[in-house]
Amino acid sequence: MTNDQILSLYRTMLIIRHTEEELARCHQRGLIHGACHTYVGQEAIAAGVCSHLTKADTVFSTHRGHGHALAKGMPPRELMAELFGRATGCSRGRGGSMHLFSPEIGMMGTSGIVGPCMLQACGGGYSAKLMKSGNVAVAFFGDGAVNNGAFHEALNMASIWKLPTLFICENNQYATEVPFSYSSGSPTVAGRAAGYGLPGFEVDGNDAVEVARIAGEAVARARSGQGATLLECKTYRTRAHAEGMGDFTYRTREEVDAWKKRCPIVRLKAITPAELSGRMEAIEAEVMEMVREAREFAEKSPYPEATSATAHVYSEARAASTPESNAIRPAAPSPPREISFTQATVEALAGEMARNPTIFVMGEGIGIRGGNFRTTPGLYDLHGAERLCDTPICERGFVGLAGGAAMTGTRPVIDFMFADFILDSIGEVINQIAKMQYMSSGRLKMPVLLRGCVGIGHSAATHHSGSYHALYGQVPGLRVVMPSNAYDAKGLMLRALRCNDPVMFLEHREILTAKCHVPEHDYEIEFGKASIVREGTDVTVVALAKMVLVTQGLCDMLQRENISVELIDPRTISPLDTETILRSVAKTGRLLIVEETPAAFGLGAEIAAQIADTGFNDLDAPIKRVNGVFAPTPYAPSLEAAVVPTDLDVAQAIRELARE
Amino acid sequence: MSFEITIPRLGWSMEEGTFAGWMKKDGDAVRRGDALFELEGEKALQEIEALDDGVLRILADAPQPGAVLKVGAVIGYLVADGESLPQVQSGSEVVSHAPATAKTPLTEEAKGVATGASPSVRRLARELSVDLSHIEGTGHRARISEDDVRAASSRRGDHHAHTHTSPLTTDIIATPRARRAAKRAEINLNTLQGTGRNGRIRERDVVHAAKTHAIGSTSSSGHRVVLSGRRKVIAERLAESHRLVVPVTLTSKVDATNLVSLRAQFKTTGESLIPAIHDIIAKLVAGCLKQERRLAGRWDGDAIVLPADDEIHIGLAVDTPEGLIVPVLRNVLNESLLSLAAESSRIIRKARDGRLSGADMQDAVFTITNLGSFGIEAFTPVINLPETAILGLGAIRKQAVVTSDDRIEVRSLMTLSLTFDHRAIDGAPAAKFLQSVVAATENPAARLLMAE
Repeated sequence: MTNDQILSLYRTMLIIRHTEEELARCHQRGLIHGACHTYVGQEAIAAGVCSHLTKADTVFSTHRGHGHALAKGMPPRELMAELFGRATGCSRGRGGSMHLFSPEIGMMGTSGIVGPCMLQACGGGYSAKLMKSGNVAVAFFGDGAVNNGAFHEALNMASIWKLPTLFICENNQYATEVPFSYSSGSPTVAGRAAGYGLPGFEVDGNDAVEVARIAGEAVARARSGQGATLLECKTYRTRAHAEGMGDFTYRTREEVDAWKKRCPIVRLKAITPAELSGRMEAIEAEVMEMVREAREFAEKSPYPEATSATAHVYSEARAASTPESNAIRPAAPSPPREISFTQATVEALAGEMARNPTIFVMGEGIGIRGGNFRTTPGLYDLHGAERLCDTPICERGFVGLAGGAAMTGTRPVIDFMFADFILDSIGEVINQIAKMQYMSSGRLKMPVLLRGCVGIGHSAATHHSGSYHALYGQVPGLRVVMPSNAYDAKGLMLRALRCNDPVMFLEHREILTAKCHVPEHDYEIEFGKASIVREGTDVTVVALAKMVLVTQGLCDMLQRENISVELIDPRTISPLDTETILRSVAKTGRLLIVEETPAAFGLGAEIAAQIADTGFNDLDAPIKRVNGVFAPTPYAPSLEAAVVPTDLDVAQAIRELARE
Repeated sequence: MSFEITIPRLGWSMEEGTFAGWMKKDGDAVRRGDALFELEGEKALQEIEALDDGVLRILADAPQPGAVLKVGAVIGYLVADGESLPQVQSGSEVVSHAPATAKTPLTEEAKGVATGASPSVRRLARELSVDLSHIEGTGHRARISEDDVRAASSRRGDHHAHTHTSPLTTDIIATPRARRAAKRAEINLNTLQGTGRNGRIRERDVVHAAKTHAIGSTSSSGHRVVLSGRRKVIAERLAESHRLVVPVTLTSKVDATNLVSLRAQFKTTGESLIPAIHDIIAKLVAGCLKQERRLAGRWDGDAIVLPADDEIHIGLAVDTPEGLIVPVLRNVLNESLLSLAAESSRIIRKARDGRLSGADMQDAVFTITNLGSFGIEAFTPVINLPETAILGLGAIRKQAVVTSDDRIEVRSLMTLSLTFDHRAIDGAPAAKFLQSVVAATENPAARLLMAE
C-alpha cells in the first residue's frame, strides 16, 4: 500500500470520526431532531471498501450509514445539515440519520429497515450487468441483517446471476442490543457464503489496510464478471446503538474499553511510516476545520419550506407522448381488430422492450416458458435470459432487487403471475420502492412495474384469488392500475412502461381472455382518467375490473325497467378520478360502488367519503356499495360463489338505489 | 297530584290545532267541566273543558294565541292548591307560533338530547310519528328505547297507522339534492309528500311539485291564498266524495204553496220562534226516511248502516265566513218541530260564530242544503260521506200553474234536487223517496200533525 493510499484511508476515517463526534455533541444539545446512529469504531470498513469505488459504483446502506456516506464522498456539511433537518441536507431534510441519499456520488441511500440494502445492491449489480457498465454495487449491513431472509435471498440471487455485488457485513456483535452469539446458530457470517456458492472472507474490521486489501480483491472480481463476494468484517461500535441510549445493560464497560484500545485510526497511525506524521497532522487540522465549518453551515441553513412536504411523492408528470384523452373509447373499425386482454399487454410490453433496452422482466416462468399466463411469449427468443429473467421463488428478493435496479437506471417489470405473491414482498414495495422518490427528494426515479393476476374464480382458493388494490391505494408513491378490458390494458400498460413511478398493474384473471377491439398503433392512457363505459341518467355505478363487465351486462335489462345506468370504470385506483364520478353524480344524484373485494376500508369507502364530502348536495339518495363478503376466498364452488357479488346482487342494488 | 293539560284530538284525522287562548287565568281555581281554553281544530273553534279539578298553572313558555300545536302537546297543569309546578321541560309541541311571539321550534336534535334517545330510536319515532318529548324512557338513565316508542305508538291507537306517512313538520326527511332543488324552486318542503324510502323527499318530488305550481300559477300577478285548515278539510272531504261516490241527481218540482202558507200561519201566532223552511222540510224528510231508510244509510266499510228511529239525525249545510259547515239536528223524527227550530237556530248561530263542537257535527244520516235563498232553482249537491244522500232546496217562486181542472193559478213552486249514491241505492227507490218528500212538502200540515 502506498503512502498516499494510507493517508487517504486515514483522512476518510478521520472525517468520519470527527463528524460523528461533532454530531454526538450536537445531539446532546438538541440540534438533531431525531435519531442519530454513529459509526465510531467501525471507520476502517467504510474507508477500506470505498477506497476502491468510483462515483459510478453504488452503495446501499443501513441505519448506521453516516460512515458509508462520508466514505463514498459526501461532504460532512451535507450530512450534518440533513441531521439538523435543513433544506441543504443530503436528502433535503426528508430523511435524517437513517435516510441519506446522494445518488450523484453513488450513495444510493440508507434505510431504517434492516435487510433491503442487500437486495437493492443486487439490483445495482443487475443494472450494471444488464447495461454492461462495469460498475459494482456494495451493500453494507450489520450482523443483525444476516439472520433476515433478505440476506439469504440476496446472496442466492447474486450467486446464480453472478452479480457484481459486494456484501459487506460489519459484525459489531450486537443487533441493537441482541448479541450475535445469541442470535446466530453459526458463529461465522463469512462461512455462510459457501452455502450459496460464493466466496466469503472474514476480516479484522478494525484493520483498514486489511479491509482495503480484501475489498480490493472482491471489487476486482466483481468488475471482471466473476460475481459477488461476502466479507465479514469483525468490529465494534464504541458508542451506544443510538445517541442518548444507555449502553451497559447488554454489554460491559470493560468490553467497550477493550475495543476502544483497538481503535482503527490509532492502529493505522501505528503502522504508518514516521515520515508521514507531519502530513497526518495537517490532515487532522484540515478535517477539524472541515467539520467545524460543516456544523456552522448546517446551523445556518434554512429549514425546508412546509409547502414542499408533498413534493416528489411522484415524479414530474410527463405528458403522454401519444395520449388517448377521450374518456369514451373511440368506435371500433369494421372489422374490429379483436385481441384478448393478455395479448394486449404482450403487444405493449413487446413493443416497449424493443424500443427501450433498459427494460427487463423478472418472474417465475416468464423466461423461455413465456409466462404461466402467456404474458411474455416469444420475448425470451428476442431478448435473452438477462432481459427475461426467470427467478427463484423469492418474491421479496427479486422485488427488492427491482427497487435497486430502478434506482440505478434500469426499468424492471416484475411479473408475479398471481398478485397474491406480492404480499411476500410488501415491505420492499411499501417501505422502499414507493417511498424512494420522495425520500431522495426526487433525485431517484423508480420505474418499477409490478404486475400480477387478481380476482376470484375457478376455485383458485385463498392464495391465488386475492386483490389488495385498496391496500395499495393507501400507499403514497404507488400508482395502482386495474384495467377492465384489452383496450385499456394496452394503453395503461404502455403508460406504465413509460412512467417513472412504481406502478402496480393488477389483471383480473377472469377477464384475461376477454377480447375487444385494440388498435395496432401505439397509444397511452393517462393514469387518473376514468372511463365512462356507458352513459345514463338515473344511477351512477362505479365498478372495477370484472365488475365492470358484470354491471355492463345488466344495463340493457335495467334500461327496460326504466333505470338508466351510467357506468364508470376508474381504471386506476391511484390516482383516482373523483372528478368524473362527481360529474356523473351531479347528473344522477345516485351512486353505487361495486367491488369484488370486502367493503372494509376499500375503494368504495374512499369514493363514498369523497363524494359525500364534495358532492353532498348532489346526492338524492344514500351512497351504496356492493362488495364481496369479509372472508378469505374458499375453494368449493358453492363457497366461492357465496363470497363474491353476483350480477343479481348488483342489479338488485341498482334497483333499490333507484327507489331510495 | 298534578294533571297535564294537553291539546286534545278533535276529530280522527286531526294532527294539530290552533290554540285560540285561555279561558282561565294562571292561578284560577278550576272545576271539572269548566271551559279551560279554546282550540281550533279541523272544523271549528272549540271550548276545551277541564277534566279534573285544580289550580291552573300556565307554563311560562306556554303557547300564545295563534300558535299551531301538535295533538298531545302539554300546555299547562292543574295542580292541587299550594302545590308547585312539576319540574318538567315544557313539552309544548309548537309547530308554528303566532307571529308576534315567534320562537324557533326545538330541533329534533335538541329534543333528542333532552330526552336521551339514540339515532335509531329517533328514526323509529319519526317513522311512527311519535313525539319523543312525551315518552318516559325505561332504559338506562331514562334513555328511550325502541320498545318505548312502539308502546307509545300503539297506545295512541291503530287508526293512526292509516294516516299518511308524510313526516311531521319538524321532522322533514329530504335528500340533500331535494333540499337544494326546493330552495332553488322556492318550494316549502313541508308541503311535499316524499316518494322515497320511508317517505323521504327526493328531487323528483320537488321537481313534480315545481311543475304543478307552474301549471297552477299562470298569472304571476295574482294573489296567492294559502288554504286554511278548514278549507283543506273541506277540499279533502269533497275530493274524497268525488273520488268514491257514484252520484245521481234527481230533480222534482214541488208545489210549496201550502208550505209557504204554513209558515205564514206560524207567524200569526206572534211567537218569536218561527220554523224555517229547512226546519219544516227536515221534519218532513225524517218521516220519509223512516219509510225508506236506505236513503239514511251510512257507509261503514263493506256495510251500510241503517239508523234506528231515534238515530235519524239530519245535517244542515251552513255557509259561514270560514266556509261550508254542517251542524247536525239530532233525533229529528222524535223531536217536535218547535224544539227542532230552536235547536237549528242555535247551531246555525254557533256555526257562523265558529263555535261548533265536534259533537255538534257528528252522526248525521242525511243532509239538507239550501241554495234557494240565492235564487238557485236546481243544482247537484255533493254527498257528505259517509252518508248516501243529500237533498238540495231550490228557490221558492210564484208561477202560473195549470191546475188539474185546467184553470191557471198562481202557486209557489220549488225544485227539490236529490243526489243519491248509486253504489248504495238504485234509481227506483231513490225516485220513490223523492216522490214521498214531494208529497209531504205539498201537504205539510197533515204530515206534521200525524207525526206529533
